[in-house]
Amino acid sequence: MSDIYDLVKRYPWLPSLKTSYSDIASKNPLDFINEIFTSDKSNDIKRRVLTIFNDAFSNIEQLSEYELDENNIYVYLILKIILYIINNKILSNRIANIYSKTTYNELNKENEYNLYYIYQDLNLEVLYDEQPTIYKKFVVKDQQEIFKTNFKISYLNYLKLASNLKDEYRKLVNNAVRQGYVYIKPENINRLLQEHVRMKFLTQNNEISTELDKFKEKLFEIQEFKALYDTITAIWESKKEEFEYTIDITFKEGKDISETFPPCIKEILSKAQEGQNLIHTERLFILWFLNSLKYPEDKIINVFSTLPDFNREQTAYQVKYAMKKGYTPYSCKSLKSYSLCFAKEYKDVLCLEGYFSRLQEVQKDISHPLKYIEVKQYRDSKKLKKTKNQTLDKK
Amino acid sequence: MMSFEYLKRRFKEYYKDNREKIPLVNLFNQREFGFIPWDQQIRMIRHMGFANRENLIQHLINNGPRHVYSSGSLYINPENQDMKKKGYQGCDLIVDIDVDHFYTPCKEDHDIWYCKECGKNGKGMVEKCPKCGKLKLKKLTWICEECLDVAKKEIIKLIYNFLIPDFNIDIEKIKIAFSGHRGYHLKIEDNNLRALSSDERREIIDYITGEGISFEILGLRKMGNNIFGFSTETIGWSQKINRKIEEILKMSSIEIETLLSDKRKFNLNQNFIENFLNYKNNFLNIIKSNNLNNWTLVSSTLNTWYNFLEPIVDQIGIEVDVPVSIDIHRLIRYPGSLHGKTGFKVQELNPNDLDDYNPLDEQVEKLDPIVFVSKVQTIQKLEIIESNVPATKIKGESFGPYKLGDTIEVPHHIAVFLLCKGVAKSV
Ligand code: SF4
Ligand SMILES: [Zn+2]
Ligand SMILES: [Zn+2]
Repeated sequence: MSDIYDLVKRYPWLPSLKTSYSDIASKNPLDFINEIFTSDKSNDIKRRVLTIFNDAFSNIEQLSEYELDENNIYVYLILKIILYIINNKILSNRIANIYSKTTYNELNKENEYNLYYIYQDLNLEVLYDEQPTIYKKFVVKDQQEIFKTNFKISYLNYLKLASNLKDEYRKLVNNAVRQGYVYIKPENINRLLQEHVRMKFLTQNNEISTELDKFKEKLFEIQEFKALYDTITAIWESKKEEFEYTIDITFKEGKDISETFPPCIKEILSKAQEGQNLIHTERLFILWFLNSLKYPEDKIINVFSTLPDFNREQTAYQVKYAMKKGYTPYSCKSLKSYSLCFAKEYKDVLCLEGYFSRLQEVQKDISHPLKYIEVKQYRDSKKLKKTKNQTLDKK
Repeated sequence: MMSFEYLKRRFKEYYKDNREKIPLVNLFNQREFGFIPWDQQIRMIRHMGFANRENLIQHLINNGPRHVYSSGSLYINPENQDMKKKGYQGCDLIVDIDVDHFYTPCKEDHDIWYCKECGKNGKGMVEKCPKCGKLKLKKLTWICEECLDVAKKEIIKLIYNFLIPDFNIDIEKIKIAFSGHRGYHLKIEDNNLRALSSDERREIIDYITGEGISFEILGLRKMGNNIFGFSTETIGWSQKINRKIEEILKMSSIEIETLLSDKRKFNLNQNFIENFLNYKNNFLNIIKSNNLNNWTLVSSTLNTWYNFLEPIVDQIGIEVDVPVSIDIHRLIRYPGSLHGKTGFKVQELNPNDLDDYNPLDEQVEKLDPIVFVSKVQTIQKLEIIESNVPATKIKGESFGPYKLGDTIEVPHHIAVFLLCKGVAKSV
């Protein structure tokens, strides 16, 4: 069993950081940075922070290096400070996803005693029963898959951690609830903690920018820190485009048709781009949608690559399956019933007012997102012709 | 408008005569109050707070409002107009069960609708006009013992099938009230629950209603030509479903057939029903066993099972008016106040009172919401001003149905009720 000092080294986001390393936690950020960057730990920490950023930029799904020593605490705190002052959603999400995923994998290596400690430290009401409880059982012919666990978590804590994950497996209704507790395996609690850690990096920077600027200025007086910051932002600048456009997949002789996407699609894509969670229905919809536009497999997979729980193999399997089956994406009616229609929020005229069908001589509603694209493309081609004609006229 | 003046006077009198009996809600002075006056120009006066009970009672006596509400939420400054400056401290978990929001068969007898667009009218529960499809319906919904009984059973199910066994809610913290019209609400006064966010509340409500349930996640599988259902030895919804199936299987064949073919409920095809009945006993053995779950004998198509399981979920789940539970800034009727559409009292109840409770004919005097029964037999003369008025059954006696222009003589409490409903005027 590890003591709490060790656990905090491995998981610097634990509340006990404040008590067991009070010398670090109680400092103001400026003094803290100053001290670090003038100490002999400086080089190692800088290198590690930089590695994490590089990992995030190169789109890999796990940190290439995660050491469990005291410096790990510094690395975590500095990461947070840097993200705070860069204040860029996409970047914060990237780091948050990759860092929290590593946390998840680390947590899964812990024994039950340590996990129990970690949960207690987070002030979660998690109980450990000596006898495991069977909470779910799949029986298929002679084979039994039995789900049992010694852990249970208070449903209030469960909801706090899970309610913004918005995925079917995490919904309370699909879980084993009894007597105020959710019976759950530790790896599933750990998955919830992954989200908890992810959110740690995403605390919105709401301070008025002058104050942020002042803070930055002070920090930049620390030469070493400034140098690190510059290196990171330089890489970011060079990679930025790649990130911001991974979703506006341009294929088909370099033509970008994402401009013609309806609001419902744009909304999901921008959520994905920011690395937010997508619910199951959103995933299916975007998958079937891009698939029916004949987007190539790898492009579709990349859309999902920014999600916190991305798993390349699994996604590839699902994409292949959908391609094979050729499902039709949801209609506007279904999307509305799932609250996934964003016509109003985007004030989209075509969605709200419909279009005039020359063939039938009536005003028609957009009934399907694919119809939306069709109409948009038709209109664009008209525009194109017009301008062409106009230039011809001039000649 | 004359009758409004009259009703207002009666309401004021009620508050004056019962000033000691109006209950005090928990953390009273942190609640926001809202009132709807009789004057139809004004919709709702919100953002009011009262430092003590005396002030509230005085307000009620002075104004005799048509409807009285207080917030489920707690605020530092309940009277602040700006939601952000109210200083939100948390909100009771509230569940509203009102037959306005779900189907009951007796509505075919007592709920009337009229289409303002094409003039068609009819009875029952409709969303839009069956003739012209327009939504402009005028509805006259009526009180009914059967409906109220359905609502009451939902509350009982909620407490004993969900709140206590699954969420371990302390029964002492559960407060129930008859709404004074067609339903009940339930609130839980518990500091831990008060801290729940809207998203978290939605998760609890989804659990209670069965919304978002996934049969696959719970274990329904198709393998080759076999369907494998839920194992009984589990925790949560799969277990609830199996118990419900068991309950159905134990019914008589005729009952089963009626239930499964009911268009409003299961609406299953003859084929399924036949198999279900033929293999009733075998299926019962499977459902009861810990180790058997091959359900193929009844049907081997997944879709058919969905058609069967979805209504099962509806039967287990509670008919909840969802937004009330999720929206933390809602106001709900104040206990002890009068409902302006009926003249009935919003009656607080303990879970133990529920079993025998019958708001329209209550024997326990202090739980009786019908407050305008006079000690001396007084008869009031009214004229009906609505084309069709369904029969009103209160305290074992039935009045009506009436037609436009009827002049009637009814006891005082019926008069107040018909006046509140706006279907009659004093003559
Ligand atoms: S109207 Fe249809 S296409 Fe437009 S946003 Fe809504 S769902 Fe999408
Ligand atoms: Zn009509
Ligand atoms: Zn009824």
